[in-house]
Amino acid sequence: MADAGGWRPPRPCEAYRAEWTLCRSAGHLLHHYYVHGERPACEQWRRDLASCQEWEERRSAEAQRSLCESERARVQATRKHALVWTLRQSPPADWHLPLPQEEKDQ
Amino acid sequence: MKHSGCAVNKERHFSCEDCNGNVSGGFDASTSQIVLCQNNIRNEAHMNRVVTHELVHAFDHCRAHVNWFTDVRHLACSEVRAANLSGDCSLVNEIFRLHFGLKRHHQTCVRDRAILSILAVRNISKEVAQKAVDEVFESCFNDQEPFGRIPHNKTYARYAHRDFQNRDRYYSNI
Repeated sequence: MADAGGWRPPRPCEAYRAEWTLCRSAGHLLHHYYVHGERPACEQWRRDLASCQEWEERRSAEAQRSLCESERARVQATRKHALVWTLRQSPPADWHLPLPQEEKDQ
Repeated sequence: MKHSGCAVNKERHFSCEDCNGNVSGGFDASTSQIVLCQNNIRNEAHMNRVVTHELVHAFDHCRAHVNWFTDVRHLACSEVRAANLSGDCSLVNEIFRLHFGLKRHHQTCVRDRAILSILAVRNISKEVAQKAVDEVFESCFNDQEPFGRIPHNKTYARYAHRDFQNRDRYYSNI
């Protein structure tokens, strides 16, 4: 986590509001039920919005801690499954190479 | 794609061709090219979906060592992701296919379409394809890169792009 002097919320507060609004929408309820078979949980977006606003207004250390913890949990949730493949250190060498000559001539 | 080092050039990385059967498109890893089957793509919405599907494969090829031809689990993983993230399995598309289901049906569709996609490009049995999809499903269904979410419509896609643009601020402040 960055020093308190240089820290700011990971997302602008408008982004937390937008995510909370989307999460509570009828459309998202339908999408989430179709994908996961259950209702979405939106409370954490509301808490994060409140923490963001509290930090903007009062530079609350507790709000900063709460936001960091929440976002780290989100990142952890995306990394909990081991990948099937190995990630590359650099893109494929032939991505930008021209097509084989015989194909170009066809 | 550009951020991953694989900037896409329309002339180099896309090819419109006539295809056999009812295949809509494909990604050729040996030439780094997306093939769009011009005789089988029906309309603009279908085209958008096929392009997104194949770009997921291209993205996987760009960021990972995918053994497309030698490891059916790798192929299965990319097909699960492409079916999941392209809109192939939207409620509307499934209804048009007369596949009716709501609760968790998206996952059923992703499994089924991944198996069909594997069988279209590999000479293996349905059982082998099914086993590969089952083995990788949990990991690959939940790998939603580069979007970070399933882009059900333009709103979700817009939010995913916003998060991508905000990534430096995000990771330096958590």
